[in-house]
Amino acid sequence: MTDLLTTGATRLPVESDAALERIHRLESLLGDPDDPDNPLGLRAVLDADERGELLPEGERALARFGLGAEFVPAALGGRFERADRFALLMRSLFRRDCSLGIGHGITSFIAGLPVWADGSAEQRRRVAELLCGGGRVVAAYTELDHGSDFARVSLAARPAPGGYLLDGGKQLVNNIGRAEAAVLFARTDDRPGSRGHSHLLIDLEGLPTGRAGRSYRYATSGVRGCLLGGIGFEDCPVPADTLLGQEGGAMETVLKVFQVTRCVLPGVVVGVGDTQLRTVLAFAGERRLYGGPVSALPLSRSVLTDAFVDLLICDALSMVAARSLHLLPEEASVRSAAVKYLVPKLLQDNSYRLGVLLGARSYVRQGPYAGFQKAARDLPVVALAHASEAVCLSNIVPQLPRLAERAWRPALDRARDAPAAPETLFRLHDPLPELDFSRLELTTHGADSLTGVLPALADELAREAAHRPEVAELAALAAAFTDELADLARRAGSLSPRDRTLVAGRPAFLLAERYALLLAVAACLGVWRAAGTRDPFLADPLWATAALRRLAERLGPRRDPQPEPVVEALFEELDGRRRDALTFDLFRTGLATRAVPAKGVDR
Amino acid sequence: MTEATVPSAATSSEAIRGWLLDRVAYYLECPSAEVDAGVQLAELGLDSVYALNLCGDVEDHFGLAVEPTMAWDHPTIEAMTAYLAAELAA
Repeated sequence: MTDLLTTGATRLPVESDAALERIHRLESLLGDPDDPDNPLGLRAVLDADERGELLPEGERALARFGLGAEFVPAALGGRFERADRFALLMRSLFRRDCSLGIGHGITSFIAGLPVWADGSAEQRRRVAELLCGGGRVVAAYTELDHGSDFARVSLAARPAPGGYLLDGGKQLVNNIGRAEAAVLFARTDDRPGSRGHSHLLIDLEGLPTGRAGRSYRYATSGVRGCLLGGIGFEDCPVPADTLLGQEGGAMETVLKVFQVTRCVLPGVVVGVGDTQLRTVLAFAGERRLYGGPVSALPLSRSVLTDAFVDLLICDALSMVAARSLHLLPEEASVRSAAVKYLVPKLLQDNSYRLGVLLGARSYVRQGPYAGFQKAARDLPVVALAHASEAVCLSNIVPQLPRLAERAWRPALDRARDAPAAPETLFRLHDPLPELDFSRLELTTHGADSLTGVLPALADELAREAAHRPEVAELAALAAAFTDELADLARRAGSLSPRDRTLVAGRPAFLLAERYALLLAVAACLGVWRAAGTRDPFLADPLWATAALRRLAERLGPRRDPQPEPVVEALFEELDGRRRDALTFDLFRTGLATRAVPAKGVDR
Repeated sequence: MTEATVPSAATSSEAIRGWLLDRVAYYLECPSAEVDAGVQLAELGLDSVYALNLCGDVEDHFGLAVEPTMAWDHPTIEAMTAYLAAELAA
């Protein structure tokens, strides 16, 4: 049972970690992507996408696997125990098909969160039972007229004898046409402010006839198989016990529980980047130009290795973010927004650069490598879903001055009591305490112990570099980023009053972007530092140095390309993983791919 | 904004209201005389996340731990003044 997980140099504690065993089982269930006869292989996935439907065999297989139970906390009879492991499990599915990942998964996971956080014992039991039994609960938040502006959501739930009368509609809701239940974000008070909305947990199958319609479906450019629908209500009565949590409490709940999804989704989407890179790497190895493979050309090689390094950055940041939900939940409001902003952005940039390398095959919907265009269409939808870049950054901006004052300054001053994240945050196989929803906070109150590790780590590295030349460049980069943090702290402290609000100008948003990059630096350094001896690649300063160099390139004027020996070493690792069918992320786990080198499927 | 003031007789309702008016005017970048203490913060143009920030300012200034949602539950300057006066007197 452990063959997939031990193929590589990495030895994962699969026997002692049931979640890893399930990830392995899911990967085996999905089977070889390149086998044209695999009913869950890439050819079948692409055909289903062309038909605009969710792969039926995929849905059946995931139902057999019992994916729904993965969304339910263990305390309620499900299998959700750790946000980081959950992201890895879903990543496996997203490597294969984003449509199945969203259409048969993430949407129910999102809808479950307000129930676990706020629901009555009966509501929690009901939703847990529904999901564990293979049913669906959908998250009905979006109204096209209001986009991400939840405060102005207008679907109304007016008090009526015995409960509420619903009026209005929701759009772009996954699975609304076929789910058994929905968590509805509705207006229960017409006055402005943040106490005007409530969550209702409604039974979609028990709605009175003629008062609700949910047959509409939206056509989309990406995740074309997903059943994105709408629902409309007209004086539709629902009972009083549909109220989920306090009346007027939905905005507070949303701002808290969406911290969980914002930390988890980026780690999931890393799987899409893995698939795109694998496809283009195969192409670049096979296509010949100037007497050798395209992948031997320096420019192509650097595009490929840059994409590899960016995947490692994305994984370090998303794993640390997911782990911090358990370890430092009170800090998650800012961190979740930063991760949800940066990871999709890095993946999107690489999707474009890899597409250029792939050439015409990046947009042809048939023939070899056709998997790339689907992933490239899916990625923007998946990345925008749930919280856009602007929403994420505007959640960070108002908190910057207080973070500078309470967290970064003390860390930069090497204050004895400056908060620094515990090392277990970075040890990816360390056990985690239960995720406690009640410890999530609306603001960080200026706490940020992740960034807090940066100055101290830079000092340590500087001392170490004196006798370990292989960490000299890493030490120099860490020192440069510490200076960047000092500059950020200074600028954040002198933001104008208006730049501390949601109508802040571009400069404030740029500071939030820079902050996200510094968080990624801290995450990479932390993961590298804590890697131990389990995985020699992870413990090697090679990747961490390359990661910091990439982040420095994004941060500002420093645009040094990776030195040639570094590119060569990274390429050797990358191509070795392709040959051995191992993931390109931090975990280097085995894939179900059997026939490598593969050229992708013909469809 | 950074020094915590020791709660004292000086934190009368008048002082609290005056400080809140100044603080809201600071974010709106307008004279405090133009801020209406009876109008909801959201209507003044201060959104939910901003209101969370104001709670941090209150903590810093009065040395009083308040829920981040204080400005949601007491959404006008008048309402916040009454709430804070009671809390500080307790």
